[in-house]
Amino acid sequence: MIGVNGLSREVGFLARDRAALLWLGIAVLIAGVSVALGLREIASQHAVLDDLRASDQAEREVVTDLYRDWGDVAYYTFHLTYDPPADFAFAALGQRDISPWKHNIRALALEGQIYETDAQNPDFALIGRFDFAFAASLLAPLLLILLLHDLRSGERAAGRFELLGATAASQGSPWFARAALRTGALALCLIAPLWIGGLSSGSGVSKLALASLVVALHIVFWWVVCALVDRAGWSSPVNLTALVGVWLALAVVVPTAIKVWVEAAVPLPDGGEIMLTQREAVNDAWDLPKPATMTPFIERHPEWADYVEVRQPFEWKWYYAFQQVGDQTVAPLSLAYRDGRARRDRLAGSLAWLAPPALAERSLQAIAGTGVAASLAYEQRVRDFHSALRNYYYPRLFREEPFTEASVASRPEFDALKRPEATTPPLRGTPP
Amino acid sequence: MNNIFAIAREEARLWLRSRLALGALLVFALLLTATSWMTANRMSHELAHRAGQQALAEETFLAQPDRHPHRMVHYGHYVFRAPPPLSIIDPGVDSVTGQSIFLEGHRQNTAMFADAGAGANLGGFEELTAALAYQLFVPLLLIAIGHGLVIREREENTLAPLLAQGVSGTALCAGKWLALAGVALALLLPLVVLAVAAVPASGEGLAGAGLVSLYALYLLIWCGLIVLVSTAVRSRALALGVLALCWLGAALIVPRMAVESASSAMPTPGKLQTDLRMQADLREVGDGHNAGAPQFRQLQANLLAQYEVDRVEDLPVNFRGVVAEVAEADLTEVMNRYAEERMALESRQARFAEAFGWLSPVVAVSSGSRALAGTDLATHHRFLREAEAVRFDFVQGLNRVHVEQLTYTDDINRSIDEASQRATRMSAENWNVLDEFAFQPASVDERFAHASAPFAMLLAWLLLLGGGGLVAAKRLRP
Repeated sequence: MIGVNGLSREVGFLARDRAALLWLGIAVLIAGVSVALGLREIASQHAVLDDLRASDQAEREVVTDLYRDWGDVAYYTFHLTYDPPADFAFAALGQRDISPWKHNIRALALEGQIYETDAQNPDFALIGRFDFAFAASLLAPLLLILLLHDLRSGERAAGRFELLGATAASQGSPWFARAALRTGALALCLIAPLWIGGLSSGSGVSKLALASLVVALHIVFWWVVCALVDRAGWSSPVNLTALVGVWLALAVVVPTAIKVWVEAAVPLPDGGEIMLTQREAVNDAWDLPKPATMTPFIERHPEWADYVEVRQPFEWKWYYAFQQVGDQTVAPLSLAYRDGRARRDRLAGSLAWLAPPALAERSLQAIAGTGVAASLAYEQRVRDFHSALRNYYYPRLFREEPFTEASVASRPEFDALKRPEATTPPLRGTPP
Repeated sequence: MNNIFAIAREEARLWLRSRLALGALLVFALLLTATSWMTANRMSHELAHRAGQQALAEETFLAQPDRHPHRMVHYGHYVFRAPPPLSIIDPGVDSVTGQSIFLEGHRQNTAMFADAGAGANLGGFEELTAALAYQLFVPLLLIAIGHGLVIREREENTLAPLLAQGVSGTALCAGKWLALAGVALALLLPLVVLAVAAVPASGEGLAGAGLVSLYALYLLIWCGLIVLVSTAVRSRALALGVLALCWLGAALIVPRMAVESASSAMPTPGKLQTDLRMQADLREVGDGHNAGAPQFRQLQANLLAQYEVDRVEDLPVNFRGVVAEVAEADLTEVMNRYAEERMALESRQARFAEAFGWLSPVVAVSSGSRALAGTDLATHHRFLREAEAVRFDFVQGLNRVHVEQLTYTDDINRSIDEASQRATRMSAENWNVLDEFAFQPASVDERFAHASAPFAMLLAWLLLLGGGGLVAAKRLRP
């Protein structure tokens, strides 16, 4: 379409266009800073986890020495669970600012514990992070708009448009080459810092390539938008105004409309209701006859059917049984809450095709493992670990096994690396 | 003076005749109205819903049957953070902080169920509120219709005749600024409506007026910047480029850089880290469930000496209750110390980030807006402190019942059989130790004090740009 001469001529033009160089320089700066800040944030999350793991270990050793009764041990021992950031998380911090990625869990009713959030300064979550996903999905389109809005209109205003059109081999080619060069240069300015940061921090090449593809496709989309607007033959200021209007619509208004619609279309059970139901179930058990707890308990755990007789007003096995029954009572609500979030996320994912900036950001979060799906998957790992803890304590509580060091040593430990690769969380069943 | 108004009138006439300007204005008016309506609707729904939940939580607590008072300590209570009246303009941190806290003995829980965690994730801006629309997007409209204000006269060769007729550059620029300011202030109408709607509910008209003037001041700054650039720069393309760069930096980049700088300049340990560090201190206080713990031996000896008896059974008070009460007080002191440290760090982070208002008026206006609306970090901290006060009061109220009404002998024999367990059940009338909770934001004066720094920043911006505009206007040549 365009020869080597044509290309080198265009490169020469670009090199002398101070405005274009300014926008490209800003792009490199923004991408570089966002990558550096993302790497810093991930390093600090790792440091927090190291610190937590150390204190958690030390704390558990202290507590293990204090108690000799399985009921007390289960009551007082906390276990740290966490979701370490994936290697590419630096590029899209995603939900990690608002959804929990670390919990301290014990063998009591899980529904009372799993909604605790250990959030950052709320001002930060409100304003948002300066990560690469932000730069690539929201800032990059604006920079491209600034680079491309006056390609034709600028020449037209300078009186060269007809001349250029007439002397070029084909009508579109000088514009196409110029726009392609600028689009390519912008993509390169964004992607290069990403690769430098990614390779230096040990991210997989496949993830970097995939992310680069997302960025490139997103930028090409905006190129098409710019080309369409530029064809209308308006003056540069009108072009720019119209393009910023399109940006405002696609980056802000449409995503907001989708969000409002999705949240109305997929209602969630009220969080407060989950908590209240759980609390009532657990607390009522104290005043109910023991079989009211033990019967629903052995429906779930028939293996303990021979041990359900409770002779004293208080016995640990009954205490832990009603903790479990509390979770069972609230399970439909809790499942609906999880399933609702997953459905909202899937729906938002499909509708995000209407708003390319949102789609680009979601795609980067998916690659980085920082989307809603990842945080639901983490929640499921916490649930799995919690049930492993219960399964460890039940034989000791029901058979009243003696406390031994060896027995404590076989207690399950949370393993963050057992990370299911599935992007959709394994939900058991669907809510009514 | 007449010149200035004539120029402003002429400008308004031109906008009304330009389909582009009129179209953009209408679209924005629609956007602002829709966003304002949505925000107001959502927040008033939240207010009603949480007030209902709060009433329900209190009712449920009071309706509990007779039981051991310590059971009620663990039964616990919920408090909900009711959004303040002006949150219908700026919900602030409401959606990113949990709205309710479960209060129980021996623990300070975090606020749970932040909307943001369960919402549909579309990246970008957390949510489009009326406040955000004014802070980020109205300036775009002002740039679109205002960047050519002075340049147009230059392009159409009307600048020279105007100046030759004796219209001073200052009067010309003032007239242009006035016209743009008129549009900006007219766009504040939805905001004024919301502020007026919020006032009767609260009697905080002053805060509402403050909020409207904060936004007015903010938009006037943009008008000043736009006229300044339009005066100083000779081509539309360059003026648009400069203004686009200013907006990009002020609205999108600096606020987030403020966040990043604050978080790296003063790292704050999270709740989990604080909790783990606190464990050793808490163990020193002792477990209030275990009256035989070594930490309480001295307490026991003192009580026995005070009442001149030899055995805890003979004390006129329930020793187990006394231990629960003393341990709760000591634990709370430790927990509050750590919580206050954390909140102080967070406030320092927020102030650090707020100082970026000297670099971007967007940071200043958003910080001032949250402060005046009562939806800032300080208000959330206020909620945490008030919730803690409620927690401590009802737990200690119940512990008092445990101390005074339940005998020690009944208490230690409670697990022998059903009958002895029944003996430890205290009358449900005692549950009225719980106070009603209705969260109120800080007083209007206090909120103005919080907003004073942002106001000062915005005033400085206005003066700076006004001064710059004046210089550029005086130098205006055809």
